[in-house]
Amino acid sequence: MSAEKKYGRDVVIETIARLMIPFIQLYGLYVMMGTEGAGGGFQGGTVIAASFVLYVTAFGITRGRKNFPESWNVAFKCLGLYLYAGIGLLCIIFSLGVAEYLNYAAVPLSNIIGHADTRALMIADVVEIGIGMTVMAAFVSLFFDLAWKEESVEEEEGGAEE
Amino acid sequence: MIVPIDLALLFFLVLIAIAAITVKDLLAAIALLGAYSFVMACVWVEMNSVDVGFTEAAIGAGATTALMVAALSRIARWEKG
Amino acid sequence: MIEWIVQHILAKYNYWIAIVLMLIGFYAMIAKENLLKKLIGLSIFQTAIFLFYVSLSDVGTGWGLRFGTAPIVWEHGIHEGYMYVNPLPHVLMLTGIVVAAATLAVALALVVRLYEEYGTIEEEEIMEMEMDIERGT
Repeated sequence: MSAEKKYGRDVVIETIARLMIPFIQLYGLYVMMGTEGAGGGFQGGTVIAASFVLYVTAFGITRGRKNFPESWNVAFKCLGLYLYAGIGLLCIIFSLGVAEYLNYAAVPLSNIIGHADTRALMIADVVEIGIGMTVMAAFVSLFFDLAWKEESVEEEEGGAEE
Repeated sequence: MIVPIDLALLFFLVLIAIAAITVKDLLAAIALLGAYSFVMACVWVEMNSVDVGFTEAAIGAGATTALMVAALSRIARWEKG
Repeated sequence: MIEWIVQHILAKYNYWIAIVLMLIGFYAMIAKENLLKKLIGLSIFQTAIFLFYVSLSDVGTGWGLRFGTAPIVWEHGIHEGYMYVNPLPHVLMLTGIVVAAATLAVALALVVRLYEEYGTIEEEEIMEMEMDIERGT
């Protein structure tokens, strides 16, 4: 408790973190969607996970755990996996007879989102978002599990009145 | 690959690697490992492999350093001997 | 003779520095007592191997040859015959970086668990404690 008072809240760090986190997440999304340039799902997911690490650094691990609980982590991990595998399965179903996994051009959505090249890129973006969600949740979960201490729970009870 | 930049970056790389395994303070060693990863990312971008450099800057210099600091918050900070 | 040395040894300094870094990491993995220092050595070792592969893919140094550009599709570049670096080792090394991060996370979890069990992460002290336990029973 005394250590928390000594290295407690800092106004500068909190304000800067509050300013930076949305932009970091936006940049992570930009990296994730970049099917035509450098980057991809893994890198974008890691950048977004870094924003959560910054949040924990500025506001403390108990508050970070409260705002981003483990159940959300599990939900994000499974949702990303289902996005990836589901689109792969959709491509298998629509590419009749040849069964090509992740052959985006086979999905017949041409009336909705344009011709084959654009379509493949847009579906690839969805796959990248699935990868990014899984990686983001996995890294945040790893970070919390490594940094979590047992005495953090008592600190939370002490600081809950603020 | 531009030879003078490459040579300078590689020189710093060896220097930082030796420093990272020499210091007794493990927090300093982790910070030096982050610097090492960042210089390595610079080397790769300068060698025209932008994708690898970008990944290394995000993962090696960012996520790995954060994970190691998180682990260090639970173990002893100073190396003995 | 000097020409041979320059062409085959000095011009390939990237590989020499990759080997130097690899040996620095290897030394840390073998000789350092602290387990976290061993992990830092492991990281340096892996990165040195990535440097070796990326050096393999690079074409054209500043000494006379044409520069290779980044392997990004560029409409005019295809027709004008631009030289670009080989992207295959890059893709392999992307996978390598991902595996390195995962390995490090597992190893850190093991180190934290060892510290909770023994109260230290110095290899010698852990071995001594194990020996004491064996002698005691």
